[in-house]
Amino acid sequence: MEFGIGAYAVLATTIFGIGALGFVVRRNFLVQLMSVELMLNAVNLLFIAFNRIYVEQHGGQSFAFVVIAVAAAEAALGLAIAIAYHRIHRSVETDLADRLRH
Amino acid sequence: MFSAYLPLFLMVAVAIVVALVLWSAATFLGPKNPTPEKLTPYESGADSTGTQGVRPSVKFYVAAILFVIFDVEAVFLYPWASVFRELGWLGLAEMLTFLVVLGVTLAYAWKKGALEWVK
Amino acid sequence: MTALFALAPLVLLLVGGLLIMLVDAFAKERVEVSALVSTLLGASFVVAAGSLLADPNPSGLPAEITRYLAVDATGYFTDVVLTVAALIATLAAGSYLREHELERPEIYLLLLLSTFGAMVLARAADLIVLFIGLETMSLAVYGMIAMRRNNARSIEAATKYFLLGSFAAAIFLFGAALLYGATGGTSIAAIRDAIRGGHAEPALVMLGLVFTLAGFAFKVAAAPFHGWAPDAYEGAMIPVTGFMSVVVKAAAFASLLRVFTGVFGDPLLMHPTTGWPTLVAALALLSMLVGNLGALGQKNIKRILAFSGIAHAGYVLVGFASLHAVPEDATAAILYYFLAYAGGTGLALASLVAFGSKGLEAVDVDDLVGLGKRHPLLALPMAIAMLSLLGIPPTAGFFAKLFLFQAAAQAGGIFAWLALAGVALSVVSGFYYLRIVVALYASEPAEGAVVARPMRSGYVLLAMVFGSALVVKLGVMPGLYLDLALEAGRGLFH
Repeated sequence: MEFGIGAYAVLATTIFGIGALGFVVRRNFLVQLMSVELMLNAVNLLFIAFNRIYVEQHGGQSFAFVVIAVAAAEAALGLAIAIAYHRIHRSVETDLADRLRH
Repeated sequence: MFSAYLPLFLMVAVAIVVALVLWSAATFLGPKNPTPEKLTPYESGADSTGTQGVRPSVKFYVAAILFVIFDVEAVFLYPWASVFRELGWLGLAEMLTFLVVLGVTLAYAWKKGALEWVK
Repeated sequence: MTALFALAPLVLLLVGGLLIMLVDAFAKERVEVSALVSTLLGASFVVAAGSLLADPNPSGLPAEITRYLAVDATGYFTDVVLTVAALIATLAAGSYLREHELERPEIYLLLLLSTFGAMVLARAADLIVLFIGLETMSLAVYGMIAMRRNNARSIEAATKYFLLGSFAAAIFLFGAALLYGATGGTSIAAIRDAIRGGHAEPALVMLGLVFTLAGFAFKVAAAPFHGWAPDAYEGAMIPVTGFMSVVVKAAAFASLLRVFTGVFGDPLLMHPTTGWPTLVAALALLSMLVGNLGALGQKNIKRILAFSGIAHAGYVLVGFASLHAVPEDATAAILYYFLAYAGGTGLALASLVAFGSKGLEAVDVDDLVGLGKRHPLLALPMAIAMLSLLGIPPTAGFFAKLFLFQAAAQAGGIFAWLALAGVALSVVSGFYYLRIVVALYASEPAEGAVVARPMRSGYVLLAMVFGSALVVKLGVMPGLYLDLALEAGRGLFH
């Protein structure tokens, strides 16, 4: 039994959907950050799976590399903002952010 | 496809069985004679104080983040190294530029005190 | 080497930025980073403008460069827009941070690197480079907002913008992955050729188009992806608001222009009824409605400008929707609009900086009451900015809107109706733009009310003079700049 590229595409899309759902449903900074990371990793999986169709080049794999590096920088900044947020609210529940607009 | 992984599943099964057997043997066969002294976390050490949920210092965060960023950037060296002969001088120049940028940021982080433990 | 000279506006910012980092870290005395960064941005602006006038389409560059970064007139034009906006924001920041005792060299460095990322984004000829530019720009902006870390509003703005921004980046990437799967290319040219050749799976291409468009729509704050904008603009410091409202929006639009005329420039995808123009027209109409109606009820000027920014994103999208019929005119109108919007919004926020002083920051419309009577000359740039954003001749905004709506009218059909809606909603926008002018010049503060006291600082005055000159010059001789924009846009169609 061999898994085709279609199966990987379905898996990646499912993971992406789970990440997106988690981002929308949960109201915790860290969980939302993790959801975004899940989405980015689903995209990486998709890139690498699609690269199997185009074996003569490595565009998809290079893209995945870059996404990993940028995701690390994004997580670093996100955690810094989370720490600043925690200093003010003593919690990372994003529901507490309601000072603007009032 | 699954048959290729059969030895792996077998090994996992054997590992679980061995662990279960050894653990239950120790529980059933070993002598039990608990005293209050024996139940303390460290039998002959100092009594522990404070709560269990100690907050780690935020300084761990800075160190960890700097590590993650520079660690991931270093990954770019591997694909470059594997095709470094084909890329030639242009590739070398590009990688050196990349490393110079990385070096400047490291110097900046260092001089700004991000690598100091006690400030 | 020629490639390095051709890309001088970017190379200057990157090398200069790294040097300033080293100087700031190793210097024994305090360094005037604001002056260094504004000088560097000014130099980059001069070089970009010079290249645009002298040799806008350099040839003979190595493919290793042009495959990733476009070196063309469009690129120099966007460089000019971005450096102008960044320069106004830096000068305003130089005054603002000192006056309110928030001075930190990191903000200027982030501003510089963010501008660099924006220029890379605007020139990207490959989706990988596009993503790197997008994130370099965005991450620096999140950092700038969060810089005031003891201020609950700033941190809240940074939290919202960061979370939604990284979500949007992931959505964009998913679209890019689908396009890669359909075509096997990451560069705009390769994807375009595969789609034109009919090798791509149409369903994947359509999905990729929708996801990438959603990602861009978030970055330019087009409805219905605009939810973050008012909060992020309000929570950020005024100069940072000025920076993000212009630089982020213009760079994302410039990149959208390259992607949509390149990747999705196929006649089938661009078909006025079944292709993306209808989709973009819907976004445009919704943005103009949400922006103009949303701004009516606001008191805070930063929030008014946020909704105004949503409305202006809608006007620019009208131009995008007409690209299928009059590609060159619409592109020129869009590029011209960037310049006018950068001048108008940058000038408004620089003025807002100048109107406040320590402990008395001017943020609400009520804070400006009677200011024009006490300081007629100082209040003038704000009035000019409002008239330009509204689109009254002889200011930049009038011609910018004229060119855009003209292009849409030429496209005909629903696009002509879209232009009409744009004109009607521009009239509505008069209510909130003119309210600010009336507050400045035609009202008296109530007895005993706290009034804003303008600060005395050279930096922000320089920004105001520069911005006013730009807005008025664009309004008095639009032909010169429109020719430049036409020339710049031509590079995209070959």
